[in-house]
Amino acid sequence: MASNDELVYVDQTPAPALDKATLNKMVWRSMNLQASFNYERMQAAGWLWSILPGLEKIHTNKDDLATSMKHNLEFFNTHPFLVTFVMGIVLSMEQNKADINSIRAVRVAAMGPLGGIGDALFWFTLVPITAGITANMAISGSAVGPILYFIITFGVQMLLRYWLMYWSYAMGTGAIEVLTKNAREFTHAAAMLGVFVVGALTCNYGATKLGMKIPNGTKIDATTKETVANYIDLQALLDGILPALIPLALTLMCYALIKKKQWSPTKCIVLLLVIGIVGCAFGIWSGTYTALVPVPWH
Amino acid sequence: MQVILLAIVTFIFAIDQFSLTELLYRPIIACPIIGAILGDVKTGLVIGGTYELMMVGNMPVGGAQPPNAVLGGVVAMIFAVKSQLPVDQALGLAVVFSIFGQYAVTLTFTVMSGLMAKADQAAENADPKGITNVNLISMCILGTLFAVLAVVAYIGGEAAGNALQTFSTNASWFMGGLGAAGGMMRYVGFAVLLKIMLADDMWGIYLAGFAAAALFGNVTATSGATLILVAFIGAAIAIYDYNANVKIKELKGNGGASDGI
Repeated sequence: MASNDELVYVDQTPAPALDKATLNKMVWRSMNLQASFNYERMQAAGWLWSILPGLEKIHTNKDDLATSMKHNLEFFNTHPFLVTFVMGIVLSMEQNKADINSIRAVRVAAMGPLGGIGDALFWFTLVPITAGITANMAISGSAVGPILYFIITFGVQMLLRYWLMYWSYAMGTGAIEVLTKNAREFTHAAAMLGVFVVGALTCNYGATKLGMKIPNGTKIDATTKETVANYIDLQALLDGILPALIPLALTLMCYALIKKKQWSPTKCIVLLLVIGIVGCAFGIWSGTYTALVPVPWH
Repeated sequence: MQVILLAIVTFIFAIDQFSLTELLYRPIIACPIIGAILGDVKTGLVIGGTYELMMVGNMPVGGAQPPNAVLGGVVAMIFAVKSQLPVDQALGLAVVFSIFGQYAVTLTFTVMSGLMAKADQAAENADPKGITNVNLISMCILGTLFAVLAVVAYIGGEAAGNALQTFSTNASWFMGGLGAAGGMMRYVGFAVLLKIMLADDMWGIYLAGFAAAALFGNVTATSGATLILVAFIGAAIAIYDYNANVKIKELKGNGGASDGI
């Protein structure tokens, strides 16, 4: 079987609480969450790197550290400025040596919703307001503009990172006692939530679309009353059957290849690379590009 | 000297657009710094402020890649200060470079998917250094690609812009393919999560989550909050499941022995 199937840590004794210095260190490390961002697992390696100081303190047993590092290297994506919220909870669970399936499920369930909150808070509110004030200062030649911009946005960001880390770590530690009493039930429920969220991510993050529009005679435009070319939009047809059908199909294909055929993730990635590039050579996928082979539908 | 400093700051800004402060790369901060290197802070402030306002409607939200601001800013500054072009013309010429910035990002994100196997190995051996290295390699790839493009703009000027334009038209299917494939790679990440989490009795839950997101995501009023709303429903299901199972356990446990009380 594949490597990440361990269910519990060998050393079940809860580790001592993380000290302030370690928590602070992880707050600063969380800034590099996206250092190795990639299309397969997104922020996974940055996430693991951010919580590593804590994991190393918690898991003194080397096998446990390996187990923990492996499951924390799975797909991860959340809002970079709010990530410490997820870190706090996950660390409190790691510290209490919670069931690995529970930790994974809580991690997946917590990371999803933060994206929307973070964007609304930061990119739609704080940055536009700050930019509105400071950009005009800059345009009129004042260096105070950019400096003020940096102080405000960076200050808010760091305050959020610190506060969320301490708050969620304390909250996680407080909740853990109740949860360990009914650990099996909690794990099952958390896994349900996790699977539910992955289902939602498949649809929400799945952006693969067909770009094929097959010429099909002409029609009369409703507003301009002119004769225009008519197309059959294959993606619109697919959406009529099931929205995000292609993301769902490709996810299930990868699932089948990995689970049933024991493919490695890397092998799946190579396959998708071929599908993507060959597809664009023939103008199958949507996007603004010119197909290599002249085809009537792109 | 100028070109070396320029390469260094571009390297840093390229990394900063995803890591570090995620703020230094913003035109309002980056352009004056480049202005200082090229010897004209004033133009830097003007271009930076203008560009920043242009970007207010163009935020890096929801995982979408906006036209790349790092190269847009750097190259616009080079053209405005070094080639003495008017501000709007400089920004216009910078667009082709910002498209290449996008390519550089796509390329890095694709290549780094392959390097995850290296990270897996480091995790297997409980080797924190290995994880650090993977992150460093990624930052260096991204930084170097951007620095090279900035140097090309600095030395080649407008001619380089035209050459890149021709190239990007000819190779657009390949870059489009890389982009399409990049958009597909997350499915591998989902598949790995599902392989572990998806018990046989949970297929319905998976599809329910998919359906909930399809519903909220395609309604204008709720699409911004899709994942929060999905999490509400998921939490309701999970809490119900938890409480029901705890009840069952308690009833089972109390069954025979406590009947007499």
